[in-house]
Amino acid sequence: MSHLGERVSALVDGELNHGERERALAHLTFCADCRAEVDSVRALKNRLRSLEGPAMPADLSMSLLRMSEPGGPLPPRVRPFPDASHTFGGVPIPSMHSIAPPDNRPGGRASGRRGRARRAGYVAVGMASAAVAFGTMFVAGGIETGPPVVPQMEKFANQHKQTAPYGSPAVTPSPSVTPSRQGTPTPTPATLTPRPRQ
Amino acid sequence: MIVAAVVLLGLVMGSPSWAAVVPPEEQESEDTGLPLLREAALAGRTQEYTGVQTLTTWGRSGVSSSLVDVSNTPGSGLTIHPEPGTADPGSLAGGMSAPPEEMLEVLARNFRIVTAGRGSVCGRDTLVVHALRPDGSTAARFWIDEASRLVLRREVLDGRGRVTHAGAFIDIRLPPPRRLTRTPEPGQQSRLDVDGLAGLRDRGWTFPRALPGRLELFTAEETGGYLHLGYSDGLSVVSVFVQRGSLDEARLAGWHATARSGHTIWIRDSAEQETIWASGGHVYTVVADAPADMVDAAVAALPHESDPGFWARMGRGAGRLLSWINPFG
Repeated sequence: MSHLGERVSALVDGELNHGERERALAHLTFCADCRAEVDSVRALKNRLRSLEGPAMPADLSMSLLRMSEPGGPLPPRVRPFPDASHTFGGVPIPSMHSIAPPDNRPGGRASGRRGRARRAGYVAVGMASAAVAFGTMFVAGGIETGPPVVPQMEKFANQHKQTAPYGSPAVTPSPSVTPSRQGTPTPTPATLTPRPRQ
Repeated sequence: MIVAAVVLLGLVMGSPSWAAVVPPEEQESEDTGLPLLREAALAGRTQEYTGVQTLTTWGRSGVSSSLVDVSNTPGSGLTIHPEPGTADPGSLAGGMSAPPEEMLEVLARNFRIVTAGRGSVCGRDTLVVHALRPDGSTAARFWIDEASRLVLRREVLDGRGRVTHAGAFIDIRLPPPRRLTRTPEPGQQSRLDVDGLAGLRDRGWTFPRALPGRLELFTAEETGGYLHLGYSDGLSVVSVFVQRGSLDEARLAGWHATARSGHTIWIRDSAEQETIWASGGHVYTVVADAPADMVDAAVAALPHESDPGFWARMGRGAGRLLSWINPFG
């Protein structure tokens, strides 16, 4: 039998099956080299087992907690369906919990300062858009309907006099016409002429 | 004894009360003066006359008087010459001459027309006719020439009994009297065109059929881009002109603004009660020959939209923006 080679470690760890272990032990009875190698590996293993575990740094916990401060916990997930306690026709309506994986998102936002700046930008853009929209509505609401007009008082006064129900005197220097109630112009018998100064 | 009986019989027969065969209640409810006004209207159209009239108006801006020469020739019409230096006569002398039958009907609907004795104007005997409101107060007084049936004097009073308009002949010349050839029949004048009113409303105009003070709409027409409305109670006339647009206040020279029920209106000193205001995209102009309290009530009854508040303006703006971007709008 050749030397044990790589099977030395397996023999020390007890990973060889029964037949292999018997053959390996028979080899060790007449092979001093392999016996010395097995002894050295077993000694090394015993030495490693006797060493202590690594110590955790004292500020590791505080560093991890500090990472979760800026955002706080995330809001609860919005569920598009009602709770399972609600029923429709006596049959429970499945909720998102029954068809969706559990919410295992982290409880805080780790993006810190960068997320805060992005949110401030969103707020600024939203406020500017709202200001533009409200300003446009205010201006559009204040636009007067129709052109600016000034009453034609002389024309109105003449028309008023012509439609006087008691008689129908006109105030134009010449015989005038006034629209009838049907809209057809008819001559009025009365005229008003300025009297020349004496 | 016999003499006493004859005297008593004579007193009974001579007393005017014997002719009052109509029960007092019935007599009070009748328009006893309306036939006289109809005769006066006919005489105003058919009687030839010349004269001088004085016209006085007690308006918001004080008293305004004018003197006019009038001349009426049947077939040619009434001619009026204002005396130089006098104020604008406003409703003119024609206001007391020849009312159309339609307006007499309006007058009879709104007032009780009663005879009120006799009087004298320009040395001529007259019959006095009163127009009474439902509460019994006098709204107008007419002095009608007994011989020619022309109206020689006319007064219009407000609700507190004050004379607001007065017109009277101070001199009149008549040709030899002639008898009336016919009696006017009621209902000869044209009526307000109801279909025309519906057409105006279809074109977006809104207006009331009546205004406070028993003012009834007697004419409504759209001409020259504006709406003209005429209201009357048979005695006074209130004309309302409505234009689309906003009031250009910077060009209202000679007018002064005043607050009326939280709204700004513009008034001007003139014989006629002239008022301007803007409301709801329209400009309203009122010209009236009527007592001031009647004009104020009529103005108050017409639209007066106050300036919209912030949220109303925003809502209107949102509506306009939507209409602008709406491809189907």
